[in-house]
Amino acid sequence: MKQVAYYKGCLASLSAKELDISTQALAPKVGLELVELERVTCCGAGDIHEAEPDYYLHLNARILAYAEATGSDTLMTVCNVCTLNLRQANHQLQGDAALLERVNANLVSVGAPPYSGGVEVLHFLWLVSAGDGFDLLKDAAHKGLKGLKIAPFYGCQILRPSKLLGFEDPDRPQSLERIIEACGGEAIDYPAKIKCCGFPIIQAREDVALAELIQPIEQAKEAGADAMVTPCPLCHLSLDAWQSKLREQTGKDFQMPVLHLSQLIGVAAGLDDSELKFKRHLVSLDPVVDKLAV
Amino acid sequence: MQVALKIWRYDPIAGERALKEYEVSAPEEATLLDVLDIVKDQVDGSLAYRKSCRMMICGSCGMRMDGAAVLACKTRMYDIAQAGQIPVISAMGNLPVVKDLVVDMEPFWGKIRAVTPWLEPGYSDPGETEHVVSQERMDVIHKESLCIMCGCCVSECNSMEADPDFLGPAALAKGMRFVGDPRDQATVERLQSYSGEHGIWDCTRCYFCQERCPKGVDPRDAIAKLGAEAMSAGIDSDMGAKHAQWFVTSAKTTGWLRETELVPKTQGIAKSLKEVKFAMGLLRRGKVPPPFPPHVAKDVDEARALYDLVKEQGREGYEGIVQGEKALEHLELESESDGAGPRDPYGEGSFAVPYLPGENGDEEAE
Repeated sequence: MKQVAYYKGCLASLSAKELDISTQALAPKVGLELVELERVTCCGAGDIHEAEPDYYLHLNARILAYAEATGSDTLMTVCNVCTLNLRQANHQLQGDAALLERVNANLVSVGAPPYSGGVEVLHFLWLVSAGDGFDLLKDAAHKGLKGLKIAPFYGCQILRPSKLLGFEDPDRPQSLERIIEACGGEAIDYPAKIKCCGFPIIQAREDVALAELIQPIEQAKEAGADAMVTPCPLCHLSLDAWQSKLREQTGKDFQMPVLHLSQLIGVAAGLDDSELKFKRHLVSLDPVVDKLAV
Repeated sequence: MQVALKIWRYDPIAGERALKEYEVSAPEEATLLDVLDIVKDQVDGSLAYRKSCRMMICGSCGMRMDGAAVLACKTRMYDIAQAGQIPVISAMGNLPVVKDLVVDMEPFWGKIRAVTPWLEPGYSDPGETEHVVSQERMDVIHKESLCIMCGCCVSECNSMEADPDFLGPAALAKGMRFVGDPRDQATVERLQSYSGEHGIWDCTRCYFCQERCPKGVDPRDAIAKLGAEAMSAGIDSDMGAKHAQWFVTSAKTTGWLRETELVPKTQGIAKSLKEVKFAMGLLRRGKVPPPFPPHVAKDVDEARALYDLVKEQGREGYEGIVQGEKALEHLELESESDGAGPRDPYGEGSFAVPYLPGENGDEEAE
């Protein structure tokens, strides 16, 4: 078992609880012992980085400090946006001793532990798509996916900027495809899999966001996907919940089920309904469940 | 070495597009631009593309290779040829194609002009001397000043695909270059203008601009700096700014984002009332967490106290982003020195196929 500090972020704590529940249920099967962080806050998404960037840095430093205090060398995320925010802050603090010193003085003065720079921020996707995690995943996914056609959707902030994320080629990622195939599904290829779902501006610029959102869903549908899978709960929310808005706006009713990564692996690993929580999705997963039951 | 390419040709008179394959012999150090020169010289003189300096300064030769915008003169072909790959070359995106690999840059220049790309000094004539700007102040706009206006960032801007009127990464980075210049006296007017409908808050944070920029301008970060500067100047009436502000309010009060209140706080009560039907759908699936009692992070007073402390220390606006740039510069250098090949965490050492539809050469090349 690899012990990791687990930062679930805002969405998995509340509106995307199904992500947290399935991640917690799956973790031991793929060799991960999760130490949940309790004293942490929101990473600020891109929003605090844009509104109050110095506060963004401090909030993330505090999360990193509490992760370090667990004794783990890894902080595991389950959200693209958390991943970029935490990795960016981590690189800034690790690469600038004066900045780290100032931030640490502030952390200590409010009663938080200082951060020494000893934590690496890794997304769950990266932990299970290569190395030991991938070997364990192949064993765990014994129930398979019966050849279901799955469209991988990466989203942006797990790929770009690659100098901060750097796990795989940002234009030709393979991690989700490897996992889909290892779970017994068929990975569908389509161009918008590395593009934006529109979520960051879905409230402030809904029309622009929907024009982005329709691309991956429509392309996945045309490519014959039974479902999509994403490593990001924000992508999940826009792909799943905002499909009804696409229907209103364009008349196209895609009915495209969207899985969190932990749910996709979870299905193949035999998690039960109470751990997968499919009923919390807007677009029904019944067609997927029916195909798997045959 | 032998280098093979497929090029999307476009004939504007016939209005026809065709993917053609070429193979030429080139020196091992050849760039994509060198190879195009050889094709034009030896195979087909009608091939159209822009070039000038051949050394990453003029910004003329932006084009797509396998769907990704690159400067042809910065792209070495040796590894690609050795791997037996046949890359697909096409014109940049988000701009109209004139012929073959040449795009009409007028929409690009129009947006550059729209951000008033010159100093509005408003200061008194320095007389016989000159205005001296400290290195520290120039560091603020160091990256933005590197822009060569090649258009690679614009080519893949996801927001601009959805809203062609979006000012976009190049123009906004240019705007930041003047907002951060201490000699410029039009900061407030600039921030008001850039905060308009197709401005700062249109950015969807896809980070394609940052990934594609061949000069390290980091346009997305420039846009974030403008956002921070606008909000710090009280220019915060756009829904995008209100959205961002709610994250700050949430973090310093309950620690976690108060998701349910985000919509009315962003859009206002009147507009958000129109969303009731949509919200009810979410509510039925447990996607609308009840706002009361709020989900409060343990020891959230630390986050509150940090906010007060940070405000006291006064690293307002873009300073909060600029302070982290020194450390990130290292990463830039490291990633440029690591061989520049595709990252390969799985040890398979293979090039995967290009990703753009119709750009990947599946169709028979002529």
